Amino acid sequence: MMNPNGFGMTHTITLAESSPLRRADPRAKLAISLCASLAVMLPLEKLLVFSAIYIIFIAWARLLPEAARQVWKLKWILGVLFLVDWLVVSPELAVVVTLRLALMAGVFAMFFSTTTPSELCRALVWMRVPYRYAFSIGMSFQAVSHIDAEWRSVLEAQRARGAFEAPRGWRYLPEQVRNLVCLTVPAVVLTARRAWSMTEAAYARGFESPRRRAYHELSMGAFDYAIMAGALLVAAALMTWR
Amino acid sequence: MVRINELTYAYPQHRKGIGPLTCSIEAGEMLHVTGSSGCGKSTLARCIAGLIPHLYRGEMDGEVFVGGRPTAGTPLWELAETAGFVFQNPASQMLGTSVEEEIQMGLENLGLEREEIRGRLEQALDRFGLAGLRRRRPQTLSGGEQQKLALAAITARRPPLLVLDEPLSMLDVAAATELADSLSELARTGSTVVVFEHRADYLTGMPGLRVMPLDSTKQRESAPAPRPPMHAESGEPATLEASGLGVTIGGNRIIDGLSFTIAPGEVTAIVGRNGCGKTTLIRALAGLQAFEGSVTVNGGRPDFGQVFQNADLQLFNATVRTELLYRVKNPDMRIYAWLMKTLGLGRYENTPPLILSEGEKKRVALATVLMRGPAHGILLDEPSLGQDSAHKAMLMDICRGVAARGKIVVMTTHELHLAAMADRVVLLGSEGIIADGPPDRIFHDTASWERAGLFLPAWMSHPLPEGVTA
Repeated sequence: MMNPNGFGMTHTITLAESSPLRRADPRAKLAISLCASLAVMLPLEKLLVFSAIYIIFIAWARLLPEAARQVWKLKWILGVLFLVDWLVVSPELAVVVTLRLALMAGVFAMFFSTTTPSELCRALVWMRVPYRYAFSIGMSFQAVSHIDAEWRSVLEAQRARGAFEAPRGWRYLPEQVRNLVCLTVPAVVLTARRAWSMTEAAYARGFESPRRRAYHELSMGAFDYAIMAGALLVAAALMTWR
Repeated sequence: MVRINELTYAYPQHRKGIGPLTCSIEAGEMLHVTGSSGCGKSTLARCIAGLIPHLYRGEMDGEVFVGGRPTAGTPLWELAETAGFVFQNPASQMLGTSVEEEIQMGLENLGLEREEIRGRLEQALDRFGLAGLRRRRPQTLSGGEQQKLALAAITARRPPLLVLDEPLSMLDVAAATELADSLSELARTGSTVVVFEHRADYLTGMPGLRVMPLDSTKQRESAPAPRPPMHAESGEPATLEASGLGVTIGGNRIIDGLSFTIAPGEVTAIVGRNGCGKTTLIRALAGLQAFEGSVTVNGGRPDFGQVFQNADLQLFNATVRTELLYRVKNPDMRIYAWLMKTLGLGRYENTPPLILSEGEKKRVALATVLMRGPAHGILLDEPSLGQDSAHKAMLMDICRGVAARGKIVVMTTHELHLAAMADRVVLLGSEGIIADGPPDRIFHDTASWERAGLFLPAWMSHPLPEGVTA
């Protein structure tokens, strides 16, 4: 769906309001994500066990469809990596590399479909990241969700003015390069302008004021401690497993 | 409240700025700054709010004092407590993930106690009628709601000075009137309000309003040629037929079963509330939006050129000249010269189009479409955004010239004066086409406007601006 300004309203990741993790403290979710990310270093057998546990976990968290959607988006990259590794090195490495990438996509989906950019910002501030950078990181993640919609808008707009033609085949390589220019320049400019507009808007509301006082404060509950403890236990068990 | 002494500002890369300018704005005053498209209104607004020179690397001379402090020597966060700034495009200034959060962010930066933030938040939500939308993502609000939210987020901080850069430009008549009333109320309660705005009708007559023209001497570059040298005629005049046109987006039925015909030679204006589906309809006619039903021109597939509401999406070349000539086979340089002159782009021939003002970029985008010469006509989405009255009249002259060649011209607009200059006005509502006919009839049919959730303001009882004939 388009808004009147040409920016897409569709988002790369939808906030999963029905997930039990949506109400969890962002620090607990960061801890789970960190544990899951460390698991990519495990050898194949342990990685398979961890992946199975992780799938059960995100199914419990009602995030399986979202995680599957994110992994599916990478299908071409995963497919190529799998084939290349299989042909060049070994089938085992092909499975390990593909599984690692899929797991990372699943972790990304779990965190960002249950955490808003401002919650991420609060967690980073708690971790002693200066507010200036924490706010920027949060805004960056918010902006990333617009990028694919913006590319679509640019493609449509260029087609609408007749600047974009889509000839296929090697004979039309120069046209295809020109197409790339007429898509890339507005897309980059649009992204830069969006970033700039957000910067101006933030400063117009007193960004970088030394007097800033947060309205929301993070507080860990029993549920947050429980899932953090669970994540640490799983990580420790896998590390010590012989 | 504001004192400006011999201010001049020039952007990097030789982009024109403003000045020299000397003026002052008294506390509690409501000031309407007018000026032609590209004359520097947005630049001046940024100078008053302090964004220039703090965030911009141009050349600034002279001084600007806000609340007695020089903007150049005062930290931006401190200036923001005195001067609240509302930007032209509300969608691009949304920082929060909910309406509530959008308002909270600015309040947090004031260092207020939690109770005080909560109180001000509730007050702002109530004042601007946003309480029912508090959990919504700002990006999913209509243009009118977004503009109200932007104003709520700034006024909740209670700055004594409010600077607004074209706050009405994207709003329908109902939302624009409501927002103008809010501004008047703010001025009445002691705030200093400075509005940079082309749509003067909504502000004219407000008590205590002072009008300051920014470029009193600047006039339109030249009158348009009586008949534009358009492309050689190809085939029969274009007639558009839409039958059972329906569009569903994300499960929401945006357009439901529209059927209509647009005859060649007609300039058609589509008007309606924010979010009623005007842009979606244009996109469907251009073939950019999947739809049910059929849209044909002379029984075949339409070939329209469309100018988007956000012209930034359509421009990418290094100069205005290369932009206009991009992928135009055997360009007719007579048309090129006519477009450059008529659209007031002559002095920007070697300028990158993306650094022009919003109104100028829209005119470049229109020129690129006209240079290509689409077979069946042009579709314009809010073409009057950022345009002064002279350029709006010129835009209509061009549309008439295109239509006179047997082409179709369809535009969406919130600008009632522009719609009144069209040959036909289609009033769109959530239930479909509410009224359709010549402007004389539509602009006297108050019942239909009420059905569309709009109204006819008093100044539309004489719809055509002075000196313009239908």
